[in-house]
Amino acid sequence: MTTAIQIEQLNLFYNQFQALKNISLEIPQKAITAFIGPSGCGKSTLLRTLNRMNDMIPGTRVEGAVRIGGQDIYGEAVEVETLRKRVGMVFQQPNPFPKSIYDNVAYGPRLHGITSKAQLDEIVEQSLRQSVLWEEVKDFLKKSALSLSGGQQQRLCIARAIAVHPDILLMDEATAALDPISTLKIEELVQKLKDKYTIVMVTHNMHQAARVSDKTVFFLNGEIIEADETSKLFSTPQDSRTEDYISGRFG
Amino acid sequence: MIQRREFDQNLNELRELLQTMGEHVEHALVEAVAALKNLDSKRAKEIIERDHDLNQLEEQIMDLGSRLIVTQQPVAKDLRRILVAFRISSDLERMGDLAIDIAKVTMRLEGQTLIKPLVDIPKLAELVVLMIQESLQSYLDENTDLAYKMAKDDDEVDHLYSQTITDLYKIVIDHPESLHQAMSLTLVGRYIERIADHATNIGESAVYLVTGHRPDLNH
Repeated sequence: MTTAIQIEQLNLFYNQFQALKNISLEIPQKAITAFIGPSGCGKSTLLRTLNRMNDMIPGTRVEGAVRIGGQDIYGEAVEVETLRKRVGMVFQQPNPFPKSIYDNVAYGPRLHGITSKAQLDEIVEQSLRQSVLWEEVKDFLKKSALSLSGGQQQRLCIARAIAVHPDILLMDEATAALDPISTLKIEELVQKLKDKYTIVMVTHNMHQAARVSDKTVFFLNGEIIEADETSKLFSTPQDSRTEDYISGRFG
Repeated sequence: MIQRREFDQNLNELRELLQTMGEHVEHALVEAVAALKNLDSKRAKEIIERDHDLNQLEEQIMDLGSRLIVTQQPVAKDLRRILVAFRISSDLERMGDLAIDIAKVTMRLEGQTLIKPLVDIPKLAELVVLMIQESLQSYLDENTDLAYKMAKDDDEVDHLYSQTITDLYKIVIDHPESLHQAMSLTLVGRYIERIADHATNIGESAVYLVTGHRPDLNH
């Protein structure tokens, strides 16, 4: 399997506090990698280093390298806007803009200079089709995105993220705020999207990691305890701390 | 965590049910061979009647295990504990059936005199009873060394079994009228040898429970 993201000896500090300790990890291309672990273990922090979302937090210091396509994204030549076009993100709470469904999806492409209506129409339709929302909204594209249900809003956010053709999609507990049916739809969607994108997801729901992901990484106190094929990690974990966590003995 | 505590209690319950099944099977084999030795068909009949209890225990294990899979969504070793309980209970149920097959032979031989005093078959059974005990102990204590040691006893069982068959053939050659009984006793040897194979399966399950990999102990 080709590696999409190569993390090397990564340390991350919030002022004096070290949130990530000596992280080295390979994230496979066009596959789903899940980060699991108890609250405060560093899984969301690591996810946010992958498109430099932590840059916005004052006092953050990063050591080591995160290579995407061979380039260290913390290198001097890297423009954060370009990086975030390649590495999209979906958050726990659906966060559509208070605009129409169409404008939500067209927002990114417009920002990157696409003005042709025909081209934008095509991108909006393709993105909504890929996020399995098209059939539900195709007749109401001018309606406010805020009128959609929570699950639909989250699929819209995924459509918005893929409208700029990223290589990588980061999902930070993207189904935590959704009901079981909407969760299932997103899980199915994610399975389809991995044909085109590398997906990294943080989830508190271990069974979701087991159901959906190809590779699972278990974190504890800012360290990676174990990273393996999902089926292996959930059937024969090598570290007793992994076994304890996935069996519900702590966390 | 309260939920985990209840789960652990239920897993322990599965373990105890298997232990009870094991004791039941061990008793059935000892009784079946004792009944055969004395051609005591009344004793043999009692074994057949008690098989119902063993089947009920197996059903209880299936019910509890299925319920735990549905309600607890177990992973890793927790899941293996349940899968192994299903497998061992099925092995034990088959072992119980084989003990019944021995009892049925005794009932068929009612009124006859044994063509020879039984020595090898009780010896074979004694060895297999030890294998049953050790295989279950290896599961209960999660002791893989004991499982491998027990599997070695199976070689001795196979050796003793073929010796029993050879001896019975010799008797038939000298006394052709004993053919029918000799064939029945050959079957008994075969049943006991099959019980040993199931004990080896239990040993394999014990190793699988601990390591996540199923070895072939019966080669």
